[in-house]
Amino acid sequence: MPSIKGRKDHGGGSAAPPADPALKERFEREVLPMLPNLYGAALRLARNPQDAEDLVQETCLRAYRGFAGFEQGTNLRAWMYRILTNTFINAYRKKQREPLTVQGEDVGDWYLYEKLGETGVEASAETTVLENIPDEDVRLALEALPEGFRMAVLLADVEGFSYKEIAGILDIPIGTVMSRLHRGRRALEKALWQTVRERGLVTD
Amino acid sequence: MSPIDCEQVLREIEFYLDGELEGPALLEIRQHLEMCGPCMDRSEFKRRLKEILSAKCGCDEVPPDLVAKVRAMLDEPPSATPDS
Repeated sequence: MPSIKGRKDHGGGSAAPPADPALKERFEREVLPMLPNLYGAALRLARNPQDAEDLVQETCLRAYRGFAGFEQGTNLRAWMYRILTNTFINAYRKKQREPLTVQGEDVGDWYLYEKLGETGVEASAETTVLENIPDEDVRLALEALPEGFRMAVLLADVEGFSYKEIAGILDIPIGTVMSRLHRGRRALEKALWQTVRERGLVTD
Repeated sequence: MSPIDCEQVLREIEFYLDGELEGPALLEIRQHLEMCGPCMDRSEFKRRLKEILSAKCGCDEVPPDLVAKVRAMLDEPPSATPDS
């Protein structure tokens, strides 16, 4: 994904921030508007506001230090998310092994659709049931996914990145993106169904 | 060329909804959905599910001073972090 990595080799390896005022101005203009989205993503990854804020700040610092090497006109948004996810993995994962499986893989592709259908909810009202799930419960369901799956679903469904962009951001093959997305979504459907039941949003 | 059936459409539906299909593959699914109510229902369900997930997970309150903190950091970045 050269469009994401897109770094020119400037040599020297200095971690000093750009001294160029124009560069700082461009960083402020192009990166600061992304902060709300980056913070939302950071919150899904770090799962608490303090760590999310630290993660965003660290991400911005690293991005700023590397900004002179970022090739203008390439995918800045994907580049920022690449730094965000790398920073998260380095700083917060510590030595945990990433699980290779996710709870809920045993369910079919249409689990939630079929479960809601079985309750006799009318087709037109099925998505209303989903809309009635409290925001917090949906976030918790996403945050409960193992990292690799969570990042794929977050980047695709919340941040709207393409498979190719996600492959570049996470530095994994596109086939792995598709697999994680597919499995992560099924696990999420299973968790959401559990929430629907627990919240009494459907009657049996 | 025989038209694709429901099974094939439903297998590809996530790629379709993710905007990952183009050309004939995209056209085939679109045409099938226009003609097939049950597949359209399922497709709409997944599409709404994506939208709901995005809406509910993308509306966190951002700390009001976050932008200010980042701006301040650009002027005076902390010394190198241990893991960078």
